Amino acid sequence: MTACRRLLLTVLGTLVAGAVQANPHRLDDSLSHTVPPNVQMQWLPLTRGQPSANGMEAWVRVNIRIDTRNWIGRSGRIYMVLPHDQASGIEAVWTTQGRLQAGRLVSGERTLVFAGTIPGATMEDQLQVRLRSTADWTSSSRRLNFYFELDAD
Amino acid sequence: MKRTHRRSTARHLASACLALLCVAEMAAAHAWSLTVIAGSRRLFLHVGNGTVSGTGGGELNGALGTNGIVNTVQVSVPVAQLGNGTALAMTSNSTQNTSLWGDGNNTCPAAGSQVMVGAGFRRNSGANSATLSVSSPANLTNAAGDTIPFTQISWTVSAPGSNNVNAIPAGTFIGGTQTLATLPGNTYYENCHTFSYANSAVRAAGTYTGTVTYTLTAP
Repeated sequence: MTACRRLLLTVLGTLVAGAVQANPHRLDDSLSHTVPPNVQMQWLPLTRGQPSANGMEAWVRVNIRIDTRNWIGRSGRIYMVLPHDQASGIEAVWTTQGRLQAGRLVSGERTLVFAGTIPGATMEDQLQVRLRSTADWTSSSRRLNFYFELDAD
Repeated sequence: MKRTHRRSTARHLASACLALLCVAEMAAAHAWSLTVIAGSRRLFLHVGNGTVSGTGGGELNGALGTNGIVNTVQVSVPVAQLGNGTALAMTSNSTQNTSLWGDGNNTCPAAGSQVMVGAGFRRNSGANSATLSVSSPANLTNAAGDTIPFTQISWTVSAPGSNNVNAIPAGTFIGGTQTLATLPGNTYYENCHTFSYANSAVRAAGTYTGTVTYTLTAP
């Protein structure tokens, strides 16, 4: 084995080991989809006596399908994550059908949706998500990229 | 030959590892996402009889359009009081007493002598405001061409139950365009206007009419 080949295998081994051991692990939920695919915020009521109110909200259904085949039988916690996309925050509050946990999440944070032993190759649920924000976006539309990550025990 | 075979196996192994890493990286890019569009910019203005926009509460989510109603404010000057300088209250044919904000508040309890004026503005980002203005012609005129300056007509404001009674202030028509109020984003102003005629001079007999137009604009 040449030095070059040893180095290559060592690097690959380190990368693979790193991928297996380091938490969190990003999960593939590419089969998830939202209904509708895009949504427009609606204005929330103004409060009488309040000089200004600027809330917006939207509702969306999300059919979740997380690929967990690599983690069957492993114990851990799955979180839903919403990265910051701009200074104006988004709040997501959701209910589920029971496989995942209901919860609340604001952009820049993550929230626990599952804890325990991964039961199978996929984890499916349907979320009813309410999105709320204040009216101080830096653009007229924005893309929200939610994802799931696993902290394995 | 053997040596060549080992090299080939190692190369395949390395390729497989790289492929696995690439697949893992591609998988990491998958997530659920959606495009969210901000609430639509909306302007809402009513003068006199109007219609709640949508579900009320200031969402202003009703269908776009106008209801076309134009109310009338009037006064008849008794002969004995012609031009005596004592202001005369004007009456209104508006019947709008409940708030068009949509909460059922009795904002104009004496609708027969009041005209409810309300304005709302909803917008997403930015610091822009909406401007409520009213334009009046220089004069009211009668069939004979006689005139009364529009500056003879003033109004006071009231709004029972509101903590912002003067949101749209009292004033006097100027015979031109005047700004009444500036609405920051996501606000709703509403109060009742009670008009009066100054009666400061004797005028030729007749029925004098004129139309004022309220406008709400946003950049």
